[in-house]
Amino acid sequence: MMQKVFAVAAREFTSTVMTKAFVIGAFVIPGVFVAVIPLIVKMTAQAKSPPLVGTVAVIDRSGAAADAIREELSPAGLARRIAEGNEELQRIVQQFGGDFGPALDNPAVQAAMAQAFGEAPELTVEVLPPGTAPEEVQPRLKPANAGQEGSLVALAVIAPDAVERPPGAGAFGGFELFVRAKTDDRNIDHIRTGVRRAILAERYRIAGVNAAELGALTNVAVDRKEITDSGEARASTAELNMMLPFGFMLLLMMSVMVGGQYLLTTTIEEKSSRVVEVLLSAVSPMQLMTGKIIGQMGVGMVLLGVYASVGIAALSTFAVLDLITLDKIAYLVIYFVLAYFIIASLMAAIGASVNELREAQSLMGPVMLVIMLPYLFWLPITRDPNSTLALVLSMVPPMSPFAMIVRITSTEPPPVWQVWLSIAITAVAAYGCVWFAAKVFRVGLLMYGKPPNFKTLIRWVRMA
Amino acid sequence: MGDAIVMQGITKTFGPKVAVRDMELRVPEGALYGFIGPNGAGKTTTIRMIMSIIFPDAGRISVLGRPSAVESKDRIGYLPEERGVYKKMRVGAFLKLIGRLKGMGGHDLDRRVRDWLERVDLGDTYRKRCEELSKGMQQKVQFIASVLHEPDLVILDEPFSGLDPVNMRLLRDLFLEQHRSGRTLIFSTHVMHQAEQLCDHIIMINRGNKVLDAPLAEIRSRFDPKTIVFEPLDVGRADVVGGLPGVRALSYVNGLHEVSLEEGAEATGVMRRIMEATPVTRIELRRPTLEDVFIDIVQQDEAGDLDEAQLRAELRDGAAEPTGAEA
Repeated sequence: MMQKVFAVAAREFTSTVMTKAFVIGAFVIPGVFVAVIPLIVKMTAQAKSPPLVGTVAVIDRSGAAADAIREELSPAGLARRIAEGNEELQRIVQQFGGDFGPALDNPAVQAAMAQAFGEAPELTVEVLPPGTAPEEVQPRLKPANAGQEGSLVALAVIAPDAVERPPGAGAFGGFELFVRAKTDDRNIDHIRTGVRRAILAERYRIAGVNAAELGALTNVAVDRKEITDSGEARASTAELNMMLPFGFMLLLMMSVMVGGQYLLTTTIEEKSSRVVEVLLSAVSPMQLMTGKIIGQMGVGMVLLGVYASVGIAALSTFAVLDLITLDKIAYLVIYFVLAYFIIASLMAAIGASVNELREAQSLMGPVMLVIMLPYLFWLPITRDPNSTLALVLSMVPPMSPFAMIVRITSTEPPPVWQVWLSIAITAVAAYGCVWFAAKVFRVGLLMYGKPPNFKTLIRWVRMA
Repeated sequence: MGDAIVMQGITKTFGPKVAVRDMELRVPEGALYGFIGPNGAGKTTTIRMIMSIIFPDAGRISVLGRPSAVESKDRIGYLPEERGVYKKMRVGAFLKLIGRLKGMGGHDLDRRVRDWLERVDLGDTYRKRCEELSKGMQQKVQFIASVLHEPDLVILDEPFSGLDPVNMRLLRDLFLEQHRSGRTLIFSTHVMHQAEQLCDHIIMINRGNKVLDAPLAEIRSRFDPKTIVFEPLDVGRADVVGGLPGVRALSYVNGLHEVSLEEGAEATGVMRRIMEATPVTRIELRRPTLEDVFIDIVQQDEAGDLDEAQLRAELRDGAAEPTGAEA
């Protein structure tokens, strides 16, 4: 008897996996994505947007900031800014006696500038009389005038009290920045930061504050480390703690869905090509369904295995492999089997009761909707893995496998009794689904014509 | 010799429709039985119940000595009416799959598949995909699938539908060969003359009821001839025959004049009167065909509302191919 089930399963597995469509869909496309993403990141980093060449007008109503702004926006000022927090660059500049002007010719400095800006902007600062109204200057900012004589990239209007405030006033004034539309964000950032630093530098000078000293005083370095079970200290994995449950859930969902989807397609194909009665002359409907479910479970497991291995390999390269413990993998496999049996049996039932894929859509809709619920709720569940929402979703099939795997892999795993209660409930549901599907499958396979509605399905179950 | 199939009091309903009613059936081992009847008569339903693909509402079935075909599936070969192949699968792989599902295995299987393909002139299709084959070729592949495992009982549901005469003859010879090697053979058809050419024994089914169950020879002798065929010497004088006593109708079919006899009319008497009325070059009492027998039985059953011409057309393969299950 089992020999027949395995013969069905073997055909189901090979006819699915040995197709170009499967290999491409399951491995080549994701593989290409994985291979291309670092390439794209690298290319974007290297892509040299043309350097911004232009004039920044300054209306300095404080009368104290213009020179500092001119200095900050010069290439040397740029280089100095990058050098802060870059020890290598500081060391090089030391060789030039701390002077950034000549240091600009050094390849290492150029490389660092290029990394920060693509091509470093070449800006000229035009200081306008303090009384100029911004409205007079604004037409020169129009994108249509770009490149023409007298056009501007940006206009900074420094408030009168930006550097020195009147006695008794609490806050300082700031500045208004008008920029040409369609200007690269990176360059605007650079201009804004330059103006801001220039104003700050003047404020410090007037207040008699040593800027370097102030920076040192206000900077408190925090180095957060996590102690793992092995006693080793390493950088925090806060982001990973959020992503890991999502990864587990997605992996589970994907492998279950792919197997289920294929099961639906092959069942409909067997029915519509009328090969099904030939099969039924050799095997019972139950053997046929069991074989098909086992075969597609193999397909799901291949996907699960491959992607889980890739994930584990990725985690181990970042030395955070201990986030995945053996029990989590065991639960993943258990929930895969349970979720798979629920979905696969429903898919087999749907596939057996319709004549073509199109008719299956309306029956599949509700099933998909319910299964996708944990996908919508993964964030609240990860944030608060022991909330009522999380508890309910992780106990009610067919959402339970997905919701519970999120809870298990979160930072606050649920008590073990909850996990096993959920497994027990889900197992009962899976058994029920298989029982239901077996009845529908048997009756539906030889029914052609109008696809059944829910009422008809119930009648079939009674009939079988 | 025992019975290959026994059905006792089998009834099957689909919703309000009674597909098979109170069927009693006995097929001895080694026999060649034909299930005949028009489309929708209940032939396929009966066969599906024999195969345990569907289950009766009432009654008992025994197949090859077991209470259900589920237990003896590997000893039964079945060519369903609704038959198909895996389109993308290669012919050899498909047949080997069916073989394995029938409990075969090993190297022997591959050799047997190749042998069979050779025998039906499909030796070069072993590595072709099923979808590349014509419908007739697919049908031969399906026939191989039903006899590959050397079953004791072979059931063929409408095996000839859609075949050209050459392949029909090839398939018929293969059936007879199966029969000669001692297997029990059952086939169903809605085309009466196919059954006439092949079977020893006829089971006639109409509207879910078995209306006739007898050896072909006995049927022929039991049913009175009702038709006289003649060729008049002088074609112009043939019409006078229509007015003779005992003649119900006169028609001209395929170059011959056919006389249908009235109920109770004595055939030899009518023949003599025809010869007296007009000289003939040829006159004979025509043996009743299965078609005639069927029409006769149905007429007795449901006198009145019967469209004889349409029914005859259906029984001569003029009717459309059956579509879908009888559900």
